[in-house]
Amino acid sequence: MTLPTEALTDPQLRDELPPSLHSDIEGLIDSDEQIQLSVATDIRLDGLYGDAYLLATDRQLLSINPNGGKPAIDRIPLSEVKTVEIQDLFGSGVLKVRTETRGVTLALFSKSLTEKFAAVPDRIEALVREARTVEEDEKLIKRKGKHHPVRKRRCESCGQVIPRRMGICPACMDRKKLLGRFLGYSLPYWQLATVSMLILLAGTFISLMPPMLLRFLIDDVLKPVDLLVESENLGALSEAARAIRIADIAVPLPLIGTVDPVGALASLVFLLLLINVSRNVLGAVRSYLMARLGQQITFDLRSQVYIHLHRLSLSFYNDRDTGRIMASVTHDVGRLQDFLSHGLQEAIQNVLTLVFICGLLFYMNAGLAAYVLIPTPLIVLVTIRFGHYLHMIYHRLWRRWAAISSLLADVIPGVRVVKAFAQEKREIDRFETRSEELLEGELRAAKVRSLFSPIMAFLTSLGTLIIWWVGGNKILSGNLSLGDFVAFTGFMWQFYGPVESLCRLNHRFQHASTSAERVFEVLDTTPDVDDSETVSLMPRIKGEVEFNDVTFAYEEGKPVLHDLSFTVAPGEMIGLVGHSGAGKSTIINIICRFYDIESGAILIDGHDVRDVQLKSLRDQIGIVLQEPFLFNGPVAENIAYGNPEASLDEIVAAAKAANAHDFIMNLPDGYDSPLGERGVRLSGGERQRVSIARAILRDPRILILDEATSSMDTETEAKIQEALGRLIKGRTTFAIAHRLSTLKNAHRLLVIDKGYLSEIGTHDELLANDGIYARLCRMQSELSRLRAV
Amino acid sequence: MEEVYPLEEELNLLDPACIRFYRDEFEDLVMEREDGEIDRSIHILRNFPLSNESRFISVRKGEEEEELGIIPALSDLDEGSRQLLEEELERVYFVPCITRVLSVEERFHVPKWEVETDRGPRVFEIRSGRNDIRVLGGGRVLIRDADGNQYEIPNYRRLDEDSQKQIDSQI
Repeated sequence: MTLPTEALTDPQLRDELPPSLHSDIEGLIDSDEQIQLSVATDIRLDGLYGDAYLLATDRQLLSINPNGGKPAIDRIPLSEVKTVEIQDLFGSGVLKVRTETRGVTLALFSKSLTEKFAAVPDRIEALVREARTVEEDEKLIKRKGKHHPVRKRRCESCGQVIPRRMGICPACMDRKKLLGRFLGYSLPYWQLATVSMLILLAGTFISLMPPMLLRFLIDDVLKPVDLLVESENLGALSEAARAIRIADIAVPLPLIGTVDPVGALASLVFLLLLINVSRNVLGAVRSYLMARLGQQITFDLRSQVYIHLHRLSLSFYNDRDTGRIMASVTHDVGRLQDFLSHGLQEAIQNVLTLVFICGLLFYMNAGLAAYVLIPTPLIVLVTIRFGHYLHMIYHRLWRRWAAISSLLADVIPGVRVVKAFAQEKREIDRFETRSEELLEGELRAAKVRSLFSPIMAFLTSLGTLIIWWVGGNKILSGNLSLGDFVAFTGFMWQFYGPVESLCRLNHRFQHASTSAERVFEVLDTTPDVDDSETVSLMPRIKGEVEFNDVTFAYEEGKPVLHDLSFTVAPGEMIGLVGHSGAGKSTIINIICRFYDIESGAILIDGHDVRDVQLKSLRDQIGIVLQEPFLFNGPVAENIAYGNPEASLDEIVAAAKAANAHDFIMNLPDGYDSPLGERGVRLSGGERQRVSIARAILRDPRILILDEATSSMDTETEAKIQEALGRLIKGRTTFAIAHRLSTLKNAHRLLVIDKGYLSEIGTHDELLANDGIYARLCRMQSELSRLRAV
Repeated sequence: MEEVYPLEEELNLLDPACIRFYRDEFEDLVMEREDGEIDRSIHILRNFPLSNESRFISVRKGEEEEELGIIPALSDLDEGSRQLLEEELERVYFVPCITRVLSVEERFHVPKWEVETDRGPRVFEIRSGRNDIRVLGGGRVLIRDADGNQYEIPNYRRLDEDSQKQIDSQI
């Protein structure tokens, strides 16, 4: 029994069999037999979680299921294997093998192992082919169950689960590097940044002055006066008070007489005024400069993201929610701006303040300063704890809010249905339940919030208590001046604030880095379809389109088009026919080069579409979709979307050709009528005609009609058909339609079945051929006959 | 005379008294009718996987999954068939019940749950709380992990206090 290393190329399929099981399989495997595959699974055949194993040698398959005692072992000789089946069930997967006479379930596995087990049948098939002769057309592998495409959920390099709102692995990403990169955007504004920093520094320093002034005021200005006054009625003072006076006299006595108290007081008041004025002026300037810096940077970033979004291929949009993409342009960039303009500035200011105050406190009185620090760890701890808790509560609150708004968004637009089914009462009850949940959440949040401030206030006051006791004692024993004491108390209040807010900074930092990472995720995505460096322009297209063995897959390994080859003559109209999901729209997507094909080539007039500039290609292609997308703006602007320079008579002519002129003239503002978001103010048929006018005006050389007339009533369809008839003249046209009657003008029809080109020819040829097309035709004429009755 | 549209006939219910199920040598389900008619390679699906687990069971056949009919309630079948179908449903809808939450630890905003289930111990991770943890009425919680596995807590208020606390912090 040996494990050949070179035979097992996929490391995932070589799980170690635990030594405890070795003895159990000893007798079942011959000494010259080689283990080719060994897979561990996480559900045993009895349905309980636990390790079980599937082995494949060059002669047999073994399923080993430990269950406490002797493991249950199933064996099947490879020579008997008929089919290998993978079933994708709702909550788990099954690997089953069938022989001529029986079927054996070899392994159950959870969804976590779906990917790993997907590779197993191919390996077993290869082994079976070595063990017995397999006919060419014999299909060994069967895959059952709805296979849902799995979006990237785990990091490819480390296996870390990627949170839904993020696109890249949080473990592999360096947050500091990310913010560093973001700050790099401030480089062009380094002068602005430097000036704001200097102002910030100065402002912070100045804001620390008032307690120092107070100290000076008390110790050096008021005290001497106080002493003179007090000494006159010393007798009235208590013993304790007298002790302070006497202790004090020893210290500032030399100053008496050298300072003019009133003059000093005046200059102090003036200085305080100066400080207050300059502090506020600097504050205003700083806050403007910082905001400006932040706005400039986010402006750059926002434009860059938007420009990049337009460069990206459709595949980028397919993988992501529109909402999330929009959020990265608005919300995420906004949050970065907030971080830059406020969060960062606050952080720097707080750190500076802390450093300055610490320095001053220790300079004034190191012994007392140490006491100020005592409550700090408590404050840090409580802030972080509360912050965490508050965050959780707010998150829950936010979810309850979201539940209410989603209910509103659901019900208000559907109010007609509610009324029609007389369900007002039920909707009111539903709303009330959610509203009550919100109330309960809000009350809970209010409770926590109300607790937070008093607790923090109490903790900070602990500092005061300590300073009063220790500082007071020091004054009594003559080791501290009253001024120092007052300044200390003042600084202390300024000290705990920044500590608290620095503790909360972590949250802000995290939010900002998450936003930065989403923004950079967009910026770092390279477009799949890109103009290579050496592209030439597409000359005016004559209209010959040639597919050469084209194979294409949206997802790697799952091709939707296989080896497609055909040639379309200039000016020919081709109808694309096939079941939904056959690949018709995909053909159109790759002609427009929304995606690049995997192998083969698409040639237009002999030019490979990958070798010409994208814009020059798409400028000559016109598309009319089933659901035309109109932008919010006047009708005329929408018609001229493809050629903004079109003249008024061109626009009106195109509208007339598209049978759109009459209804446009019935709109209150004619061609200047706004269409509303997505053209909501027009009916489906009207929108369609606007989009046909758009295509006519563009004068494309290749025209694509994707279900352009489905979901229209007969009369509207007739009008649109008429308009389309004008549009397709002299252009190579690809038309997709489910209603085959709409393809009656097509020169030839292409029938696509499951990604393969199954039939090609004229309507009559295909009918004579009696294939898929003929069957579809029969079914549809049956239907229309029924409708006619 | 008022004409009544026979809506219930649309259902195509199977009479539980007239059918029985067993597994053949290929481990596939077989449905046998009273008259001896046999349908092989049967699949069964729940019509209401969340609200009515053992009522309205759809019986389908072959790869096309053509519906042969609906069993109104599993409890009306004979004992052997009932057990067999319940087993099969358990396998198709593999949703272990969480009986205890040992710990929930978050790393990079991804909560990692360590739990005990009726199918044994399990550790799983969740991508986002809003989409992947659903709280239904009566304290029922449905969880979908990052790989698409599902778990259920029939009523989390019935779990031990510590588990409840852990779950409370997540929903």
